[in-house]
Amino acid sequence: MKARSLFLIFGALLCGSGAHAQLDFGGLAGKVMDSAKDIKKVVKGAAGIGPEEEKVIGDSVALEIVGKYGGLVRDPAIMQRVNLVGQTLARYCERPELNWRFAVLDSDSVNAFSAPDGYVFITRGLYRLAQTDDALAGILGHEIAHITGRHALKIVARGEFLTGATNLAAANNSKVGNINAQLEKFDTGIGDITKTLFEKGFDAKTEFAADQSGHDLAKLTGYAPGGLRGVLAELLQRGGDPQKNFSTHPPLKERIQRLPDEPAASSTPPAP
Amino acid sequence: MKPRPAPRLWLALPLLVLAVTVVEAALTAGGTAYTKRLETSLLAEPKPLAAVSGKVPFASKLKVEEARGPWLRVSTAGTTGWVFAGNVSESKPAENKGADGLGLSASTTTATAAARPLTPAANDYAERRNLGDARKDLDWLNDHGMTLTMDQLNAFMQAQKKGEYQ
Repeated sequence: MKARSLFLIFGALLCGSGAHAQLDFGGLAGKVMDSAKDIKKVVKGAAGIGPEEEKVIGDSVALEIVGKYGGLVRDPAIMQRVNLVGQTLARYCERPELNWRFAVLDSDSVNAFSAPDGYVFITRGLYRLAQTDDALAGILGHEIAHITGRHALKIVARGEFLTGATNLAAANNSKVGNINAQLEKFDTGIGDITKTLFEKGFDAKTEFAADQSGHDLAKLTGYAPGGLRGVLAELLQRGGDPQKNFSTHPPLKERIQRLPDEPAASSTPPAP
Repeated sequence: MKPRPAPRLWLALPLLVLAVTVVEAALTAGGTAYTKRLETSLLAEPKPLAAVSGKVPFASKLKVEEARGPWLRVSTAGTTGWVFAGNVSESKPAENKGADGLGLSASTTTATAAARPLTPAANDYAERRNLGDARKDLDWLNDHGMTLTMDQLNAFMQAQKKGEYQ
């Protein structure tokens, strides 16, 4: 039900002029009716969420990630490196037209996150481990794969869009717009995504698929294919608190075993 | 005792093998590729800085005529040229449409990869959720953190031998 309602709210929010208290439900009704007429196309889409909806969802999820993990590291050199490697990978990913942005979270935990529309975040704790660009590319490639695979969007899009959009048309046609209730539902939908990101993580199958896709992207782009494997192996060797090391991902050992059997690229540069 | 039905999974196996074979063959001579950018340049030679022989819109179907390392010679509707394999996809990209009915190719705001400000709805979300500091961080990311220019990125890729510069 939440997913259905979320679609309703996205439409309302996106058609607003920016003045949040003055959403244009009159104009929205016509667009929504058009959308409902075109419902088969919407349903046929991979998730039924278009570029404009994805921006709103991505921004909101990114706000939650940055808010929870200590804000952003505002270091120009770090930003430059992360974005050079990240943008190089993004150029050849399956969705190069997204607004790709890469940043480091000011947190000692070892983890990485992504939000729809091209937000990729890596914690300072993990960034420290990725001293070579091959290692960094392996990590960023995994997160890019979550975005190109629309994994977070599928959390809110898994409901019956046909029913959701029909309800949307009916609600707005009668001009019954309970904005507060709708905003609450939107917030709940974002909460569903962040709960997955922060607490339980994506299912193991999705994570393994992201490992493989990220590996393939890094290799295609010209980075050592064992970059991610190297970082995971390093973490496994170091041991430490599993609650702090990729806690929302499957066990390190299993991830390593499922990656192609290639030499793990060093995550640290050679000694001078 | 009722006989146990044979597992139906085995029936799908030949199809699975066929599907894998088709995907693997997609970016080889005789296969099919699709463009994934709003506009993809086809080049006169299999080199990153070669002259542009044609431009193809988003989600166009290309026939792979020849593969030379990571470079593909492709053709579509009278246009032919070379493209780096990373610039095309094996499967047709989905063009998802939203409540506004607009897909990627119709959305003007996705025409550039330049940083954009937060959407008004997300600004409202930050206010409701008391995420003011996070909003300042994302504003910084969009305003100052994204100072990388396309020239810098291209220079980096050439120096590091990445992508089509390998």
